[in-house]
Amino acid sequence: MSLKHRLSAVNWLPIAAATLVACILLSLLSSSFMSYTNLQSVLVQASVTAIMAIGMTFIIVTAGIDISVGAILFFTSSLFAKLMMDTGSYALAFACALLCATVLGALNGVLIIKYKITPLITTLATYTMYRGMAIHLTGAQNIPVPREMGFLGNGKLLSIPVPILLLAVVLAVGLYLFNATRFGLYARAIGNSAQSARESNLPVNKVTVFAYALGGITTGIAALILLARVGGLQSGIGIGIEFTVIAAVVLGGTKLSGGDGTIVGSVIGAIFLVLIDNGLNLMNASPYVYDIVKGSVLLIAVVIDKVSVTRQQQHLLNQRAARIRATG
Amino acid sequence: MDRALTQNPQAPTEKARWHSWIKQYPAAPIIVVLLVAFSTLSPYFLTAGNIESVLIANSVIMLGAIGMTMVFLTGGIDLSISTVISASAVIAGIVMAQTDSISLGIATALVTGLAFGALNGFLIGYCKLNPFITTMGTQLVARGIAFLLSQGIAVKGTPLGLMDFSFVVVLGLPAVSIITLVITALFIVLLGYTSWGREVLLLGSNRSAARYSGINTARTELSVYLLAGGLAGVAGLISIINLGNAIPGVGDTLLLIIIGGVVLGGTSMTGGEGSVLRTVLGVAILAILTSGLNLLGIPFYDQLIIQGVLIFVGNGLAQHLSRRR
Repeated sequence: MSLKHRLSAVNWLPIAAATLVACILLSLLSSSFMSYTNLQSVLVQASVTAIMAIGMTFIIVTAGIDISVGAILFFTSSLFAKLMMDTGSYALAFACALLCATVLGALNGVLIIKYKITPLITTLATYTMYRGMAIHLTGAQNIPVPREMGFLGNGKLLSIPVPILLLAVVLAVGLYLFNATRFGLYARAIGNSAQSARESNLPVNKVTVFAYALGGITTGIAALILLARVGGLQSGIGIGIEFTVIAAVVLGGTKLSGGDGTIVGSVIGAIFLVLIDNGLNLMNASPYVYDIVKGSVLLIAVVIDKVSVTRQQQHLLNQRAARIRATG
Repeated sequence: MDRALTQNPQAPTEKARWHSWIKQYPAAPIIVVLLVAFSTLSPYFLTAGNIESVLIANSVIMLGAIGMTMVFLTGGIDLSISTVISASAVIAGIVMAQTDSISLGIATALVTGLAFGALNGFLIGYCKLNPFITTMGTQLVARGIAFLLSQGIAVKGTPLGLMDFSFVVVLGLPAVSIITLVITALFIVLLGYTSWGREVLLLGSNRSAARYSGINTARTELSVYLLAGGLAGVAGLISIINLGNAIPGVGDTLLLIIIGGVVLGGTSMTGGEGSVLRTVLGVAILAILTSGLNLLGIPFYDQLIIQGVLIFVGNGLAQHLSRRR
């Protein structure tokens, strides 16, 4: 295999290159960008989206989608803040919040496989439900969380910020599950063709539910980091974050049609989105420009992806034609 | 001659016809139940004032939902409808504030909607991009434009003529509802009784069959997204009439209600199955539910839970019925 071939198999390379270019541009714009503290703060800012994107990658690889992650994020934060306020027990609050996030994620998977309704509609319905349940739980109050909770968002362990450590742990587990386990292999198989996967007797239902449960637990972890960073429960938490997460996954090089994906790409995608924020911030752009730039970047990325895929297919066809001509 | 043939066993009986009607409109029985329940629970539910306010409040949603229905019929999705509504409203609002010309405002709203529709349609129809991710991109762009141009606050200076229009009553109904009804009827005819409508349905149910039967699939797809954008433009204008000002976030929260209404009506997201009339019923369910629960004093967060369950149950019911066919 030629080097070009081997490189084209690494599907997170384009986003890594784009991120590198963004870093170079930003360091030209501002001398303080390349400082250790600033790069650290970029990673901390990206951690919430990146952790959620790792879970979302598993879901998208099975050709599914989860619109409800923003609502799961909100529900988990609400439950945690409420339990902390009522009982004051960290153990109970952490356990319940993470368990609930996992269960809500898994519930999406169960509903999808049991009633065979498209993932988009199912998670749209649960999005509405979970959000309603969360506000019902707290009565639409803003609840502060205890001061020590800030450790999870702004604290440091071995002089590394805790969110970055958590991201590293989730990334390691995600990479292991995706590349080195049967679950990862089956998830990709289901995304390629659920029909074939079922006919080859793969545990399609189990794998699907597990993928959505992973989406739930990563959202739970992200919720706790976000809650710690914000300092308390606010009514707007999680609104629209599902689209940022999906954008990070797609920019990373995972196809929405399922079957193939990259965990590393999703994390880099999340970092890339933060870099855009960072750059616009350095240029003193109006906060309303951010959406326009992000939307345009997304569109450009999809167009570039389409062009390269079409060219690859054309290349394969040409090769085949040449082979046929040679034998004939 | 065989007697069975002359008797024509295929002739639908009364019962069979009823069955197929229910399969066509799975939302209808839910509406009847809701209407009976709410009118017994609240004496204000079936008053002229309440019906009028429900009609006005849902005109924007209805126009967006017609566009979404067409897009669903081709097997696609348009996430940008909601924010294109906002962008059209804001741009038209600014143009009207500057020029005080209502006709120029109408033209601007339409052109803005059509421009976004054309962009979506070109990228999805001709460049063959994934509809979900493409319209997610244009959704962000449209929202950014709406907030940037308005600086995040309501656009002041709506012409008085347009404000007065919200009080105009035609045939006992508010004029805004009449416009919505006329457009709805137009699209029922366009999709149900024209060759273009058949092309759209065929495109969604079997894309390669559509191509082999000589349909220019890219052009048909472009026309669908274009019309959906145009409808969003009209919806944006109507939002100005209803609210008195162009609000930058006016459409953003409507996306889920629009998709929910279409799905509840029984239009399938995978394409080829559905109609505008079904969507009318689907939107009606959510409208009746919201109004009724508000009258009963149910807090909005509990309404969200009920809506979610209903979207799920309604869609499950529609799928179940269509599978039994």
